[in-house]
Amino acid sequence: MRPLDEKETAAVFEKLFKFTGPNLKVMVERPAVEGPAGDDPGRYCLRLHKNRVYYASESLVRRATNVARDRLVSLGTCLGKFTKGGSFRLTVQSLDLLAAHARRKVWLKPTAEMSFLYGNPVLKSGLARITEGVSPGDGVVVFSMSDLPLGFGVAARSTQDCRKAHADAIVVNRQADAGEYLRNEDDL
Amino acid sequence: MDLGNLMASDPTHHFESVPSSRFELTRACLEKGTELVQAIANAVFALPSTDDPDGPIVRLPPPTTTLPREKHLPKPKPPTKWELFAKMKGINKHKKDKRVFDEQTGTWKRRHGYDRVNDDKDIPIIEAKLSDEPGEDPFSKRKAEKKQRVEKQEKNRLQNLKQAAKAGALPSHVQLAATALPITGTLGEAPKKASKEELQNVAGMAATATASGGKFDKKLPGEKLAKHAGKYRKFLPVVEGKGMSSQEKQQTAKILDQLMSKSCHGMLDVNKAVTMFNVKKEKQRKKEKEHKTSSAASKLKPKKKSLKKSSKKKH
Repeated sequence: MRPLDEKETAAVFEKLFKFTGPNLKVMVERPAVEGPAGDDPGRYCLRLHKNRVYYASESLVRRATNVARDRLVSLGTCLGKFTKGGSFRLTVQSLDLLAAHARRKVWLKPTAEMSFLYGNPVLKSGLARITEGVSPGDGVVVFSMSDLPLGFGVAARSTQDCRKAHADAIVVNRQADAGEYLRNEDDL
Repeated sequence: MDLGNLMASDPTHHFESVPSSRFELTRACLEKGTELVQAIANAVFALPSTDDPDGPIVRLPPPTTTLPREKHLPKPKPPTKWELFAKMKGINKHKKDKRVFDEQTGTWKRRHGYDRVNDDKDIPIIEAKLSDEPGEDPFSKRKAEKKQRVEKQEKNRLQNLKQAAKAGALPSHVQLAATALPITGTLGEAPKKASKEELQNVAGMAATATASGGKFDKKLPGEKLAKHAGKYRKFLPVVEGKGMSSQEKQQTAKILDQLMSKSCHGMLDVNKAVTMFNVKKEKQRKKEKEHKTSSAASKLKPKKKSLKKSSKKKH
C-alpha cells in the first residue's frame, strides 16, 4: 500500500473527471465518514495496493498499516485498477461513488434493465431519460427508473442525436455494470 | 594581371615623392588600388559570358601566378627495420608475378590470398621425417607456425608504425587502435589522460563487481563507496505523522487544479448558451414590435381585443 505518485494521480483523476466533472473537487475534499467514532477520520485519500486504487479515509489507512502487505486484501472503496500497460480502468466497485457525484446520467426503462445487467450496451429503445447536454465520449452513469445505479459507460451519441436515433442504435457503451458482481466474482 | 586569381599589380608604379603624412599615403594607395580593381573589372566584363537569371556568368581563365603551398611538405617516413637490413645486405626489391604455376594441382593460382599457391589446405599428405615427434599432428603444427609468423609480422608492423609516429611522419588520421597507443601526426601530443571521473567510474564498477556488490571488500584508506548513478523511486509516506506537512494534499490539490483549469472551458455549455441568447433576442424583438404597434396604431388594439373577446364568448 502506498500513495499514488503524480502521474498515477493524474491518470485516476482524469478518468473520474469524465464522469463527475467539477464535482471531482467535492469528492476529493469532502470530510470522511468512515472510521471509528471519536476518532478524527480526516479526509479521503487514494492508495495503491496490488495495482488497485482504493479510496479510503485517512484513519482507515492508518489502521490498515497494521496489516502486512501480502495479507491485506482490500481497504475502503476500490475505484479501479492500473493495467500492466500503466493505464487506469474504473471497476464496478466505484459505481456508488460515481453515482453520487455524476454529472451526466441515463435512466433505463424497466424492460431494458436486465439486458444491461447482462453486459449489453444501452440501446435507444431502452432509454427512458437522459440528462441535457451529453456529448459523445462523455462518461455516463446508468440508473434504473427507481434511481438505483446499475452501471456506467461512455456515451455514443449526444442528447440531441438520441431523439432522432433509430430504436436499435447504441446510446451508451457499457464499461461496468452491477451484474459483474456475479459474472466476474473472482476477478473483482 | 592574373584573372584566374582575380589579381592585378603594377610593378612599374612608384611614388614621385613619398607623401609626408600617413593620411596622404593611404589616399594615394587607395587611388592606385581603385585603378587596379577597375582594370580587373574591365577585363572580367570583356570575357565571354553566358546569361543566367542572376546575371551574366563568366568562366575565369586558369591562374598564371603560382601560389606557395600552405603546409610544409610531408616528412619522409623513416625506413623500417627490414628496409635498413635490406640496404645493408644489398637486397633489391623486384616485382613478382601475381599468378604463379602450382605444381601440386597443375594450375595457375594466385601468389597470395584465397585459393593461393602452396596452400596448406591443399596438402593431403605430409611425409614423415626422422625428427618428427610421435603423437604430434603435423597439420596443426603447420597451422600454429603460420599463425606465429603472422603474429610476428603484425608486431613488427606496429613497431615500425610507432617509430614513424615518433619521427612525426604519420598523417594524423592513421591511428593505432590495436595497440591502444594513440599515435597522432604531431610529435608533442601525449596520449590523452583518463579524467578523474572516468577513473572513478571504472574503480566503482570494479569495486561492485563481486558477489556481495562490494559490501564486504576491504576498503583502501581514503576509498569511497561508488556513487549510485540511477534514480531511486521515492513515494510519499503511507501515513503522514502529526508533525509532517501534508505533502499528499498539496500534490492532490495541484493535480486537481491543473485538471480544472484545463477543462474550465467545458463548464460553459456553448449550445445551451447560444439557444438562451437566441430566445432572449426573440423576446426582445417581440416586445419592440408590440410597442411599435401600440404607439402607431392605437386604434387597432381595442378592436382586436374586442374581437378576441367576442370570439371567446361565442365559444
